[in-house]
Amino acid sequence: MSVRGAASGFGLSDIAALAEDLRRVTVEVTDDGELLGSGVLWPAGRVVTNAHVLRRPEVSLRLVDGRFVRARVVAHDPDVDLALLDIPGTGLPPATLAEPESVRVGSFVAAVGHPLGVRGALSTGIVCAIGPIERNGRAWIQADLHLAPGNSGGPLADAAGHIVGVNSRAAGPLALAVPMSVVARFVQAVRV
Amino acid sequence: MNGLQGLSNDLAAAVERAGRAVFSVAGRARLGSTGVHWRPGLVVTADHTVHVDEEVTITGPDGRALTARVAGRDPTIDVAVLKVDAPGVQVADVADSSAVRVGHIVLALGAGPRASWGVVSSLGEGRMLHLDLTLYPGFSGGPLVDAQGRVVGINTSGASRHWQLAIPAAAVNRVVDELQRRGRIPRAYLGVSTQPVRLPEPVRQRLNLDQQTAVIVVEVQPGSPAAAAGLTIGDVIISLGATRITDPTDLKSALRPDRVGESIPASVLRGGEPKDLQVTVGERPRRS
Repeated sequence: MSVRGAASGFGLSDIAALAEDLRRVTVEVTDDGELLGSGVLWPAGRVVTNAHVLRRPEVSLRLVDGRFVRARVVAHDPDVDLALLDIPGTGLPPATLAEPESVRVGSFVAAVGHPLGVRGALSTGIVCAIGPIERNGRAWIQADLHLAPGNSGGPLADAAGHIVGVNSRAAGPLALAVPMSVVARFVQAVRV
Repeated sequence: MNGLQGLSNDLAAAVERAGRAVFSVAGRARLGSTGVHWRPGLVVTADHTVHVDEEVTITGPDGRALTARVAGRDPTIDVAVLKVDAPGVQVADVADSSAVRVGHIVLALGAGPRASWGVVSSLGEGRMLHLDLTLYPGFSGGPLVDAQGRVVGINTSGASRHWQLAIPAAAVNRVVDELQRRGRIPRAYLGVSTQPVRLPEPVRQRLNLDQQTAVIVVEVQPGSPAAAAGLTIGDVIISLGATRITDPTDLKSALRPDRVGESIPASVLRGGEPKDLQVTVGERPRRS
């Protein structure tokens, strides 16, 4: 473990590049011009977001280049707070997914979303813990970073920009994200 | 691998390394706290989280529950030391806290381990470390860890709701040394009650004092070290040893356990005139 190597080799430009990569795969989930939350461009022409941001079976997504596309909800599971949307071809590359359970406590993580309508805002921190926040609750990636309404459904990524979870809500100063293993299972289960 | 991934790996490795010496401490109802295996058989935690006086259940990183005994406390810096037989649990790698600088990246660990990160935001009185990070519920008593996984302090949110603080490792070492030397942590004692006072501007100018406030003695216990040193009601204590006394808290933190038996100079104002006294710090009589 050589911290000197990391400390001298790590520049703020790394974070800027990471933010730029994440903004490209983060969409705004809107309905009638109202921002509902964020979403992640998933492989195979899909978008993953939170179940709790959706109100209707169809939404409008604003892409990073400003285009709007219609998206249809193909799966919706409030128990895991995930929803899967179908979108027409956008020509935009989807997010790169991390291997499930690849992050550890202490790993650097970054979130991008549209908190309180601030487009493409970045927040950074580390993984605080992985597991339930209450007895017998479901497992979360608990991150030591700040989320606000509008972040919901957006990506939580590792230092390489690979998606490790989908941001779901804040518990005080703690961010709770649905872990990649749960997201992968949810997406895989939808064979439509 | 970019530099950020390197940093990320180093932080996770630091958590893993330091986490091997971290205990959860069930010293109070509801919310537990965190402790650090400081020296073999001695676990340090935050005094304000240990509400019991004898036995405490602590749980090691391997999930084993052990019974620890409160071996000593220093409430002036919020440290309690527990004695436990914990074979197989690693002892923390305690680093020199005087090397910690404002701006250093640090991690706070809670039992689990759980972790938060931030920077050292300032060095306060007695070199207490002020932190720009979140101490989550249960993090008090846990280690403040540098980017290499070495322990540089003990976190506490007990002193103030608004400050996240860490007791520097050097101060913890002093307390633990004292415990190992005497078999207990003595409580330093002067035998005075004080209140804060504002120093009149003419007095400050005449005596070239840069502090705005000091403490005034409102009670001297008969037979106490203060009485023996000749302190009397109405004396204004300006400094004790090298510590400027601006309020009663400063006086409390100047009275460290390792100072018991030490003779230290006290600068006082008596009737507006400076006077130097020599005080031999006593040990607070223990209740039987």
